[in-house]
Amino acid sequence: MKSVLALGAAPSAVGELGAWRRLTAPNSALMTLLKTILLFGAASALLFACLKRSPWLAFQTLWQGSFGSGFALSETLVKAGPVLFCALATSLPARLGLVSVGAEGQLVAGSITGTAAVLALGDVRKVVLLPVMLLAGALGGAAYGALAGALRARLRVNETIGTLLLNYLPPLLVVYLVYGPWKDPNSLGWPATISFPDGARFASYFGTRVHAGIALGVVVTLTAHVLLVRTRWGSELALLREGPLLARRAGLSFERAVLWVMALGGAIAGVAGMIETSVLESRLQAGIGTGAGYAGFLVAFLARRDLRLVLPVTLVVAGLGAAGDNLQLNLELPSSITHVLEGLLFAATLVARGSTTKQEEAS
Amino acid sequence: MTSFDVVEAGLAVATARAATPLLWALLGETLGQRAGVVNLGTEGQMLIGAATAFGVTSASGSPWLGFVAGAFAGVTLSSLHAAMCLRFRANQFASGLAVWMIGFGLSSYLGDKLVGESITGFRELGATRFGARLPFIAHVTPTTLLGFAATLGLGLFLYRTRSGLTLRAVGESRAAARAAGVRVDLVQALALLAGGALSGAGGAVLSIDYAQTWAEGMTQGRGLVAVGLVIVARWNPYLALPAALLFGGAEALVLRLQSAGSDSSAHLLHMLPYLTALFVLVVSCLRKTHTTAPAELRTVLER
Repeated sequence: MKSVLALGAAPSAVGELGAWRRLTAPNSALMTLLKTILLFGAASALLFACLKRSPWLAFQTLWQGSFGSGFALSETLVKAGPVLFCALATSLPARLGLVSVGAEGQLVAGSITGTAAVLALGDVRKVVLLPVMLLAGALGGAAYGALAGALRARLRVNETIGTLLLNYLPPLLVVYLVYGPWKDPNSLGWPATISFPDGARFASYFGTRVHAGIALGVVVTLTAHVLLVRTRWGSELALLREGPLLARRAGLSFERAVLWVMALGGAIAGVAGMIETSVLESRLQAGIGTGAGYAGFLVAFLARRDLRLVLPVTLVVAGLGAAGDNLQLNLELPSSITHVLEGLLFAATLVARGSTTKQEEAS
Repeated sequence: MTSFDVVEAGLAVATARAATPLLWALLGETLGQRAGVVNLGTEGQMLIGAATAFGVTSASGSPWLGFVAGAFAGVTLSSLHAAMCLRFRANQFASGLAVWMIGFGLSSYLGDKLVGESITGFRELGATRFGARLPFIAHVTPTTLLGFAATLGLGLFLYRTRSGLTLRAVGESRAAARAAGVRVDLVQALALLAGGALSGAGGAVLSIDYAQTWAEGMTQGRGLVAVGLVIVARWNPYLALPAALLFGGAEALVLRLQSAGSDSSAHLLHMLPYLTALFVLVVSCLRKTHTTAPAELRTVLER
């Protein structure tokens, strides 16, 4: 952990040279980052070479498809929205040392309850419908997150395995709903709900698909950061993680904290589910949010404890996803290759950090 | 070729055949966890095994060749998990998820051209002189019987051989095993690689035997269910068999009920296998099975 803090700390006492040494020490955050980039670059170059594509051309395509043009950037931002929310839904439980992979399922749970609110309210004004819809999404996600939290807190079911299994249920419920009770009778057999009324739609800006939901994600990120760094609750979570015995002496309840972080994380993912449902198709249909939860987990893992880092890391991971279409067009690679790239980035990080800890142990 | 019809077959046969892919993966995960390493990458290993096996069977016409190729693909991917966990001391859950992502992506890439292909899978044993007269055996394929044999084999290995004892000792305490002169990293790596072979084989059974088709992400969480069911089976390969049959039974039941009535509530039934797995996981956690867990694993599962 020290290595991460070193980057942000002011090198007042140590002086200029000391700061430079600390930055370039083999176990510093900067060196770990450089190692990650080098490893990821090498691994993905090898992958493209194995697929008989020029790595150089592939990297160019990746850049063009993610940040290389105004349109690419806007698509990256659109992809970044749910990933950002899901990263937060992973980071909050991580504050307690929990490894929750449940954002995927919580996101879909939120899209179900949010859609229920839209279908129940019908065509009402946007100032009413939009907040109610998001709140309903948050509640659905929170309930689903709290379920995994309760299993962990009360019954000691490992939260990683619990959330992974729970992820498979909400998508199946969506399929049931859009084929059954919520099916639009006029959709000519296409399984989806009716199109949402205007009150349930986000406006998009700059002639692109960029919408206000992304800005909401940034606000939530910064709020969560302040909550964790500046409030008593944030310190309590840190104490529960680092010194469970001391925390118990201080009268803090680990079980209650588990429920809170899982519910709060779930609420955030649930909001993302509702935003995505509203923005992408403006109706609920099968296949909502696929993969955003796991991409969010990757982001949370890369960014570690500092929630502010979640913002830039989300852009990188979302950029990889957004470039998938370009890889398909220019290099005739199926867009599933972006999943391999995400996995390689994940693996590169693990290896880079692992080689760092090894050196720490040795010294 | 007669593609397997779950509804026509008896429920016992349908259960056994639906359970077989999971059984192989479950045995593989049991082996790794007994040595003290959780592998969520089992899901990815099954996928890469399924895609590879289907491709090889489609190209060569031999399901046996496909089966072996699937197992090899599983080994290849699990070596990544072993390297990250053992050489670089990565968090086991994180490493497993990375392996899953890579396995999902690579299998989608490999399988891209295989969608819609048809193959000739394993023949039911009834078609051979060996199984023609036997009631249950006549309707299953060799992979199911091999799976039963592998269960017995793994049980004998773990509980009756010196190597099995060493593996369990490493799972109980790396430090103690190392002090006794065991090369613990090697033992854990071998357990993970063998587990990779078994889960790759499980994926192979899924694509070339049970479904006889390839679809992106076709394992649908079976590898993750396996991770949960290992706990239910108390890290015991013999108990892995009933655990797998439970999930397979739920799956066979769903397909049977679905064919009986075809309204939309049939979609709801697909939750049943996952709910069953979750339910038994919760119940087994109630009964404090963690006290029977390999001690090294407890540091991973309960922090």
